[in-house]
Amino acid sequence: MNPVFRKVQASVAQQALLLNKALTPCRAAPSIRHPVWCTHSVNERQYKGMPTHGIGRWKYLLPKQAPRKKKDKQQMKQIVSATDTAYGTLNVNVSGYDMTVVEHYSQYIHNFCNRLGIKVADSYALPTKSTEVMLMQEQGTKTYVDAVLKTHHRVIQLSTLNAALCPVFMDVLLKNQPEGVQLSVTEHTEADFQARFKARPELEGLIAQMNQ
Amino acid sequence: MQQKKMAAPCGRMASRPLLQFLSRFSRSPVGNTGFRQFSSATVCRAAFQINEAAERANSPWTLMAAVCLQRLPVISADCSPIEQQFKQMLHQIELEKSVLSDHELRLLEDAERMSRKQADDYDSDEEDSHGDQEIMMAQDLEDIWEQKMKSFQPAPRVRADVDKDLTSAERCLADSLVLLAEQEVGDEKLWLLPQTRWQEGETLRQTAERALTSLPAAGFKATFLGNAPCGVYKYKLPKAIRTENSIGTKVFFFKAILADGAPPKTKTAPFLWVKKSELQKYLKPAYMMKVERFILDL
Repeated sequence: MNPVFRKVQASVAQQALLLNKALTPCRAAPSIRHPVWCTHSVNERQYKGMPTHGIGRWKYLLPKQAPRKKKDKQQMKQIVSATDTAYGTLNVNVSGYDMTVVEHYSQYIHNFCNRLGIKVADSYALPTKSTEVMLMQEQGTKTYVDAVLKTHHRVIQLSTLNAALCPVFMDVLLKNQPEGVQLSVTEHTEADFQARFKARPELEGLIAQMNQ
Repeated sequence: MQQKKMAAPCGRMASRPLLQFLSRFSRSPVGNTGFRQFSSATVCRAAFQINEAAERANSPWTLMAAVCLQRLPVISADCSPIEQQFKQMLHQIELEKSVLSDHELRLLEDAERMSRKQADDYDSDEEDSHGDQEIMMAQDLEDIWEQKMKSFQPAPRVRADVDKDLTSAERCLADSLVLLAEQEVGDEKLWLLPQTRWQEGETLRQTAERALTSLPAAGFKATFLGNAPCGVYKYKLPKAIRTENSIGTKVFFFKAILADGAPPKTKTAPFLWVKKSELQKYLKPAYMMKVERFILDL
């Protein structure tokens, strides 16, 4: 063990010698290279206020938040246009009388798109339409209400669809379509988006008055 | 929109521009028993530009396009025991989570009103004016509907005799069927998906459509699912026949769905509607390997 220690000590001493040799030339340099250090004396201040000025600042460390507007008007998402190899924004419209079946089918399509990597832009429901089925009475000409059928709509909006993927996608959708459900694939237009909103007659009246 | 075709060598699929399409599919039990209503409209079919002939002349492969015409299942398949149990459970959950419908509320109200009428201290003036409902109680409506239901005869789901007839398009309503045609390839007659040779100046999809319409004695109306082919089969001619200009053929497959309308059935027409499991009996093994990859058996 001793020889090892001696060797270690020797190497440490050698390193210290080297360091000293390295330091001495450096010590002379600061006075030449940094004359500023010499000019200021201890009494002059280089900081504003107290040395602890701004010690409690933390809000600058938070991530930047966009200023929130009071109420965002529903903006339409950009409609992607079709390119040479992909379709643009498509609406897959599922409708039927039986709500559970329609909803389950639309959930199936959504999950399927996620699995295939097709980006789903939006998934919403259109208002339910009620249809009254009226039958003629056996005696007499009056019709009476026989049944009320409610048609439910669900829409899944795909942002793009690759042309090579399209036949596979459509094939699977068609083969798994349940009975009593209508499936339709259309392009998304601005009119489709505006149809979701209710008309505001007073606002339109005022606008018409303003334009006159 | 411009269309560019790459003819050879067709190691990768030819790229085609997009035709925007609108299609509406509906599955309704009323109407044609065998087929779904299917309507489509093509929007902006653009004119194409023919590529330089020099590029194509060098290719030693002959190109053909085939159509994989499918008849979709009309009724849902029967569930396995586990599926049935699960379905039962889901149904029960939906029932317990659901709210009472209008009809059920009416039933409850009527029952309540009846019980109030039966009570001794019943005063009809206190009752709200429900003049119409007294004539037709909700229970009576239910009875009428029960009667109508009993007189309704649904069509049988599975018909064994039609199932065995391979040429009928209405067999096996729960499965999807593929059309096979017997065509002459070289010197022998083979069962394969209807195909025809590609001609200059048309897209491969148009060739596939031509293949469908040129089938003898069949008025199949089909909707093609897309412009891109779904599969490829390469066939090298035997060495004896091989020449400089023709090494073999490449067949591109396109998927199509049989549209509405039962095609006229002729006994002599060499067509078969087969399920995926039965394909093996009719197709050659190498061909079968390529074809079964894109035929979905859902």
